[in-house]
Amino acid sequence: MLQDYIESGVLEAYVTGTASEQEVKELMYMKAKYPEVSIALQQLEIDMETIAKHMAVTPPAHTWNKISNQIDELILRPGDDPQQFQGDREDNNYKNFNTGSEYIEVEAESNHIKVHKNWKWVFAAVFILGKIFLACAIYFYLENRQAQQQIKQMQTELQQLKH
Amino acid sequence: MKQQLAYSEILPNDVLEAKTELYKGYADMLLGYIFEVVKNQEMAEQYLADLFNELTFSDIQEMTMPEVNTYCRLQDIARRKLMSFFNSVDDCGQKLHTNNGTVIRKNRFIDLMDAQQQHVFCGIHYNGKSISVLAHELNTCEADIKKILKESFTIIRKNRNVAGLH
Repeated sequence: MLQDYIESGVLEAYVTGTASEQEVKELMYMKAKYPEVSIALQQLEIDMETIAKHMAVTPPAHTWNKISNQIDELILRPGDDPQQFQGDREDNNYKNFNTGSEYIEVEAESNHIKVHKNWKWVFAAVFILGKIFLACAIYFYLENRQAQQQIKQMQTELQQLKH
Repeated sequence: MKQQLAYSEILPNDVLEAKTELYKGYADMLLGYIFEVVKNQEMAEQYLADLFNELTFSDIQEMTMPEVNTYCRLQDIARRKLMSFFNSVDDCGQKLHTNNGTVIRKNRFIDLMDAQQQHVFCGIHYNGKSISVLAHELNTCEADIKKILKESFTIIRKNRNVAGLH
């Protein structure tokens, strides 16, 4: 039965990216359970590499430049020698580059800011606490007003009794 | 408004090193595959550059784990990127001349397959066809297509160490 599964071609379908979702799930289960399936799959992956090596085309040097240039735009290498920025230029604007600051200043056009997801709980807590304080304030205000009215009433009664 | 980005939030040097290693190891194989699909040198190189530029740290971590075939994972990514091209590919194993005169080599493994095996293997590997589509084209069932695909791989495996094919 296991051999039938290996011979069915589903492993080949998987390595060529044509297996269905259900087949992939089943294969992952079989791979974990049966070492024979795992070995057969590894062999197929080696076959794929063999085809690729046979058809390999060495990329020209400028292809890597397209990749490294994009990475260089995003990363400032700490190991860079500051001297390389100075060169022969008299009006050297690169002097201030290595000031020890940990930040790159970026001028952004967007009016939006990004905040960490955890802040939503802080905002929710502030909102709820705000509501509680407001309810307390209204409650104590009404209590106070009622107490004031009672005092006035008692004062009036006292004055009436004196007379 | 000015935003400030810390180095650590942008891209660790590890990513550059990892991409360099992946490029050294697999760029030629991936370019060969992409070339076969798009059949245009400049476009293939651009696809290769885009593929490496879009690789994230988690992608690299996932594909370099033990028991994971790194090349196959990279080829999966390439295959997904090439989806729009698959329909325009009409043949496989053919010798083609590119814009700058470079000749794409014939895939000799494919030459060893019979017509039906070539149709299935190239349909899946280079044309991105699904098994159901091929079953419909060849007027057979999906199980038969998988078996034909398996036969194709058997031919590749039998001949992968044969001198003259490399």
